[in-house]
Amino acid sequence: MSKKQPKGEYIETDTGNKVSRRSQIIGTTNIILGGKTVIQAEVIIRGDLLRTYPASNPSEKQGNTVAVAIGRYCFFSRGCELRPPGKLYKGQFSHYPLKIADHVFVGPSSIIEAALIGSHVNIGSNVVVGKFAIIKDYVRILDGSVVPPNMVIPSFSVVAGRPARVVGEIAEGEVDGMDLREVYRAVGNG
Amino acid sequence: MASFTPYTYFQCPCTDTSTPTRNLGDEQPPETEENSDDERTFDPRAPRSNYSLYPLEHLFYCEDCHQIRCPRCVLDEIVTWYCPNCLFEVPSSTVKSEGNRCTRSCFQCPICVAPLSVSSLEAPPEGLGAELASQQNGPFVLNCAYCMWSSKETGIQFEKPNGIFAQLAKIKNGGEPILTAKDRRKDREERKRDFSGSSAAEESQENEAPINLDPNERLDPESQFSNLKAFYQTQMAESSPVSALGFTGDYGYGSPGALSRIMGLYTGGSYADKKSKTKSGTMREARDALEGLQIDPLSDEDAINKLRTEGWESTASAEQRHEQTTHTPFLSDLRPVAYLLRTKRSKRCKTCRHILSKPESKVQTTRFRIRLVALNYIPSIIIKPLQPILPTASPLLAPLNPVQFLLTFKNPLFDSVKVTLATPAKTPGRFPTKVTVLCPQFEVGANTDVWDEALRDNNTKSSLSGEKRRTKAEASEGQHQAEAGKVWERGRNWVSVVVEVVPPSLRIEDSEWLKSEEMKRDGGEVRDGEEVVEIPVFVRVEWEGEVGGEDSGLGGGGKDKEVREKRELAYWCVLGLGKVDVD
Ligand SMILES: [Zn+2]
Ligand SMILES: [Zn+2]
Ligand SMILES: [Zn+2]
Ligand SMILES: [Zn+2]
Repeated sequence: MSKKQPKGEYIETDTGNKVSRRSQIIGTTNIILGGKTVIQAEVIIRGDLLRTYPASNPSEKQGNTVAVAIGRYCFFSRGCELRPPGKLYKGQFSHYPLKIADHVFVGPSSIIEAALIGSHVNIGSNVVVGKFAIIKDYVRILDGSVVPPNMVIPSFSVVAGRPARVVGEIAEGEVDGMDLREVYRAVGNG
Repeated sequence: MASFTPYTYFQCPCTDTSTPTRNLGDEQPPETEENSDDERTFDPRAPRSNYSLYPLEHLFYCEDCHQIRCPRCVLDEIVTWYCPNCLFEVPSSTVKSEGNRCTRSCFQCPICVAPLSVSSLEAPPEGLGAELASQQNGPFVLNCAYCMWSSKETGIQFEKPNGIFAQLAKIKNGGEPILTAKDRRKDREERKRDFSGSSAAEESQENEAPINLDPNERLDPESQFSNLKAFYQTQMAESSPVSALGFTGDYGYGSPGALSRIMGLYTGGSYADKKSKTKSGTMREARDALEGLQIDPLSDEDAINKLRTEGWESTASAEQRHEQTTHTPFLSDLRPVAYLLRTKRSKRCKTCRHILSKPESKVQTTRFRIRLVALNYIPSIIIKPLQPILPTASPLLAPLNPVQFLLTFKNPLFDSVKVTLATPAKTPGRFPTKVTVLCPQFEVGANTDVWDEALRDNNTKSSLSGEKRRTKAEASEGQHQAEAGKVWERGRNWVSVVVEVVPPSLRIEDSEWLKSEEMKRDGGEVRDGEEVVEIPVFVRVEWEGEVGGEDSGLGGGGKDKEVREKRELAYWCVLGLGKVDVD
């Protein structure tokens, strides 16, 4: 790598994604980005961890080539990592897709191995989201939480602790503030 | 030193601030102030203040009362019960009959509260998923993927992978079956028929109940409760016939007669009188396990022995015991914890009963039918230091050193508002901060969309009442000095003003003339929270809104200007600006 970055920090795609030149995105053909998503430096996305276990119904088959699916207006802070979750099933180890909807913020140095993250989810810094966790819409996970594997977090939950548990509810007035369009617009390409 | 994020809290008017409060350590309650409401300064550090201050996002606005509403002055109404793990809705009738826990297969680890998943003992040990269990053969166990606890450790295994709640209800720790309430009831009826009238001693010896219940049996808590309940019900029925008192014996504790009888249980000891149960009006106590009595001298001994051999490690923590419904001194007593149900609730104004928030009833929907949040009615306040803090500089405020902050008011209404700010010159408390708002009165533009604004600019400039508008560029170019009486910066629906504060010195040993009145009265150490500079600000918002109120905040503004009325809203806010360096 050269010492100086002559171009901007971010590569901008046709759909408005801003992907840091210093991020590590592996297996790009298996990753879907919905658009207007920001990927900061040192973020790791493991698109190479593809499902190897054959899907039972044919409609799922084409989905097999997707390891990580990300919606619109997501924000992945410096040094966070997205890994599709994996498990042994009938004696065979396989990864399964990691799906992330819209307006999802992931704080610095957090590790995500969820099966599903809904829309308007705010994940703090240094959080671990365990394998196959399911996080519904409008959830806030506070800094340093460890969400145990298989945990289901219902909508409007505030979650914290190791292991994480629901510690509060998202107030009615907090809902609007979880939209990330403003955050996206504020990202310059310096 | 942890960094400090400035904050703004709003006071809900529902709190009664007229009652004098007492600080910890005060010897006498403070004298009631003679001042009228308007003159009294709100003290953010008063013990009562904690309960009335909220971030704006947590507040509602009642359109009928034209008032802020907080979580303490709204009524919650349950719309839907659901399990937070399987997300199935539970009808409220089921909640009444079955209780407030998920009765499917949703359990939390008794050791660490992480979710438990069902897995087959025959499956590869690393198997995580619960959904795959259906194709596998039992026995099944509950596993924690966080701390690796397994129900096998307490001797609990299941035949089927689903309906774990019902299966668990029939197994004791260790694997022995639990007699169901039905079995017990049958046994009780048999006994009553066979031995009614015989004395206690005979009864327990001759007892040959169909399922052979042992009168010295160690009962699980549920069975003990149901035995006790059944016992007292028969006692009450026998000692006071239904006809005489007019209650049915089930839960008929309401009548005065029943009440005095229950009191009689404690005052008129019936231990001595063996035949007492035959006398009318007196009751005896339970005397064996079948009636719910548990005298277990062995259990203490067992516990001591267990502590001796297995040590402290084998005991359950207070937190773990708190999650359990029964007495569980040892880890081996702990049971998987069925998930408590959660609710979706609507909120009503306590004063006028109008609905302030109503979610869609379906569990998986996140939409609201009604959502009257204060955010859409009153200006938000954002705090920023006027001079940007260098990353190398201390984030703490230097004592006795003036510092300026920028307060940005953003108007959510479709009408422009006039804002008036009032602060005490010195904040209340032992270490007062000096406060000056450079521009205490200003107008904030309406929250119209950008096109509306462009049109209005051409026609009338009345909404801004002739004040000179300063653009962002002007502000950053020219004026570096904040000027009294002038707005610092303004935009479409926002205005920034400057507030200057002089933080106090927290040194107790400062010379006498520097000390505040409070300090002279009440010396001593710096208490927790006193290093935070908190400024009480009284905000008065005035505007002309549409009559009817129904949609003054959300409906299209500016369409119909004929029927308008003056509106006013006033409330206390607390600005948390920073922490003072304690040196
Ligand atoms: Zn209130
Ligand atoms: Zn459930
Ligand atoms: Zn556990
Ligand atoms: Zn009301």
